[in-house]
Formats: sequence, C-alpha cells, structure tokens
Amino acid sequence: MHLDYRLNEDRETDWSSVTEEDLRYRVALGNLVFHIGNKDFSADWDWIPLVDLAASFAEIIRKLEAGSPSEIFEFTESDAWVRFQRKGDKVLVSTSYGEGVAEVALHSASAAVKSFVERLRSELDRKHPQAAHNAAVRKLLGAG
Amino acid sequence: MNLRLIAALFLSFGLLLTAIPTTGYAQVETSADQVILTHSRLQHIIERHWSDSTAAGAGKFQAGLTVDSLRDMINEAVRNGRARHNTHGRPGTLYEYDFQRQIGTTIDGGPATRLRVVVSNRNEVITAFPF
Repeated sequence: MHLDYRLNEDRETDWSSVTEEDLRYRVALGNLVFHIGNKDFSADWDWIPLVDLAASFAEIIRKLEAGSPSEIFEFTESDAWVRFQRKGDKVLVSTSYGEGVAEVALHSASAAVKSFVERLRSELDRKHPQAAHNAAVRKLLGAG
Repeated sequence: MNLRLIAALFLSFGLLLTAIPTTGYAQVETSADQVILTHSRLQHIIERHWSDSTAAGAGKFQAGLTVDSLRDMINEAVRNGRARHNTHGRPGTLYEYDFQRQIGTTIDGGPATRLRVVVSNRNEVITAFPF
C-alpha cells in the first residue's frame, strides 16, 4: 500500500492561529496519492485538506483495529468516499471514484497511515515552523 | 426637505451599508432552522462549486444560480434535510436535502439533485455543494 500526498504551496496561512476547522476544511490543501497493488485510488483534486485526511485515516485505522467492520472516509467538498472493510486481518479498500476493490493487510494499512501522518507533520513543521506549536495541528497530527 | 424625510434617508443609507458584505456576514440568521453564511464562506462556495469553477472533483451548481437562490437552498436544506453528525471527529453537522430537480452536476458530470451543507458548531456554513 502506497499512501502519499502532494502539498500545495501556501504562503498566506498564519500557522500560529489556524484552528481545527481551518485544518479540516481550508488549509494544507493538496492531492492524495493512494495505490494498493495495481489499483489506483489517488485523487488529484488540489483541494483535499491533508491534515484532515491524515487524522481521519488514523481514526479509521484505530476503529478497524478495535473491531469495527467498516468505516468510510468522506471527502470534504464532494460526495466522494473511500471505504475500508475489515476482513479478518485484511482490509478491503474501495472508492466511489476509482475502479475495483483492493486488499491490504491491516498492519500494512496501519503502518502506511502512520508514516503518512509523520511525513505530513514533518513537512508542515519544516515549511511552517509555527505549525509545530499550534494546538490544533498537535491534536490532529500528534506531537511528533 | 423636512426633518422626517432627512432622517428616513439617513436610516436607509445606514441599512444599505450594513447589508453590504465586507469582512462580515453575507447573511445573518438567528432562528434555529437557519444558518449563518459569512462572506468568506460564500466566496469559498463560489470559487469551488459555482458552474464556472475549474476545481476538479467537486460538485458544481447549475449555471445562473444567484447568491440569493443559494442562500434559500441552504436554508431549505437545513430546515427540511436529513441531519447527521460530521464524520471521524470533524466538528459540526451535515445536512442533506433532495430538491427533486437538478440543481447542479456531480463530480463525474451527472445531474445532481441533492445538496449537502456542512454547518459548524457555531451555526456557520462551512461549505455547501450539490451531489
């Protein structure tokens, strides 16, 4: 499972004052890069709030690990979705905008999401040092 | 010109100024079934979901939609639509309403009849789009 992102350039945001709502809907926008095997679930829409996606995917993995049979991620600006269905130690992944269903081990999905969160946090901290001290960023991406 | 007429003119001018959205609210509604649409959120909806928006992967409203019509649709969706909690820790409430007529296009270009409105815990519209 390859889970990555492309973060848009942003020179306008005051990262000392961004709120959770900003992070969920308005800032750190970009694209999702998402491959499982030969299935491509990427979304290159440029407007995906990546901190929200990272936090939501992490929450979904936590719920699946806790026994939830199915979780759905809904994009913020459309009815597009990504569905995660637990099947034993595996997770079946499908989307409303991509073809087919892919299968990945739950521990692999968990590792991919954890890496995604850590890379995004590192890039934001590097590009926007004030983000490291922002409470909403720490809440959604962890303290690092 | 009598004093009453002068006072009426001043009052009208004052009301006009308060109605012009600057950095404040494009619409302020306080009843329980109506929501606040700020100027910045209205701009966001126009930039991302208006018929001439180039944003990919986002539903678009039909050409010719006016801001007043959008406000009416948002209020109708909040008043009569299905409400549910926002997902995976996102703050706020989602309202979805089927207008039973085309109001725009889906992300793949098909006809959209439904509106989703995302409303914050402060009763402010975050976004709204057809699907």
